[in-house]
Amino acid sequence: MRTALAIGALVWLAAASVVAHHSFAAEFDEDKPVKLTGKLTSMRWSNPHGWIYVDVTGSDGKVVNWAFETSSVNALYRAGWRREDLPVGAVLVIDGWQARNGTPTANAFSITFQDGKRLFAGSPAGAAGTPTPPK
Amino acid sequence: MAALAVLAAASAHGQAPPAGASPKPGPIKRLADGKPDLSGVFLADHGGANYGLEKHEGTKLTPAGRGVVIDPPDGLLPMQPWAREENENRKLPERGYDDPTAHCFVAGVPRSIYAPSPLQILQPPGYVVILHERMSWRQIPLDGRAHLPDAIRLWQGDSLGRWDGDTLVVDTKNLNGKTWLDELGGVITHQATVVERFIPVDSQTIRYEATVTDPGAYTRPWTIMMPLKRQAGELLEVACHEDNQDLKHLKDIRDEARAKAKKP
Repeated sequence: MRTALAIGALVWLAAASVVAHHSFAAEFDEDKPVKLTGKLTSMRWSNPHGWIYVDVTGSDGKVVNWAFETSSVNALYRAGWRREDLPVGAVLVIDGWQARNGTPTANAFSITFQDGKRLFAGSPAGAAGTPTPPK
Repeated sequence: MAALAVLAAASAHGQAPPAGASPKPGPIKRLADGKPDLSGVFLADHGGANYGLEKHEGTKLTPAGRGVVIDPPDGLLPMQPWAREENENRKLPERGYDDPTAHCFVAGVPRSIYAPSPLQILQPPGYVVILHERMSWRQIPLDGRAHLPDAIRLWQGDSLGRWDGDTLVVDTKNLNGKTWLDELGGVITHQATVVERFIPVDSQTIRYEATVTDPGAYTRPWTIMMPLKRQAGELLEVACHEDNQDLKHLKDIRDEARAKAKKP
């Protein structure tokens, strides 16, 4: 277990290699960067992409459940992501790019936990070289 | 839940993610008959080929490509005008729905090699078999048989192999022309034939070349090259149809574009 944790720590900040099965650029809008703080409601370790769901409270007090798409589950796993790293209720800051259809859906670039740990979600920007957060 | 089970199983096998320095390359391994032993898990050092075979700049959501075309020497694919036009059109967001891999179809030849997911090469007697992590495979007989009848068309085509010295040469015909060469819509038609060369460099690397001859879309044959790098670990499951929410999103974008186009 210690070994597993050590490996996890080593690759904690490693960017997941991008493994998309479709064009992210077709589905998401580079001109719509988002950076939201929310409470994790679930994560789907599913194919062909993983999905992170977070409740985000707006300035009007209304809660919206956002869906963030990640790279493939296998890429996340190889980059050190583990199910136990993402407990329901965890407060996360997620940045990425919103879907072209305007729904509360986005392509995730990274997630940052309250203790400062950050995981990269395998978006192409991360895979292409030095990660450049959405601005 | 299936994915969770797979992750648990992978942990049970003691499989760690690839980490740390790669083993030092050694000489080419050989089978008992003296032929190169190409078996193992490999990942193409594709340099962004899945997002365009020609050299191209990256964007926030599309990786850059170093360009993998070695012939023609200028690195540009010798597309016929209609193919270049179609390739550009497929880059529109409303065409994302048309990428066969978005529907979880197999990637075809040669895209399966740089899809980009790991692959595993097996060498049972008389065959080379390539398992692609995206849940497709190619079985390549080495017995000198003839190709399938021309009327039979397949997503991965009909691949026949032979050894040319230490190089595995794979000749593929009978492709169905339904695949894209990359995520941005590179064109390949049913007229294409592909000759791949798997050239062992050392124990860790295979030089991969593919020459595509496609009179349906190109003015002359062209060749790509990229190294295949040996990987630690094993293949994992990719049950692509499981939770393919993208397809609905991409269809919405396509339908909206079509509706706008219809308006006077």
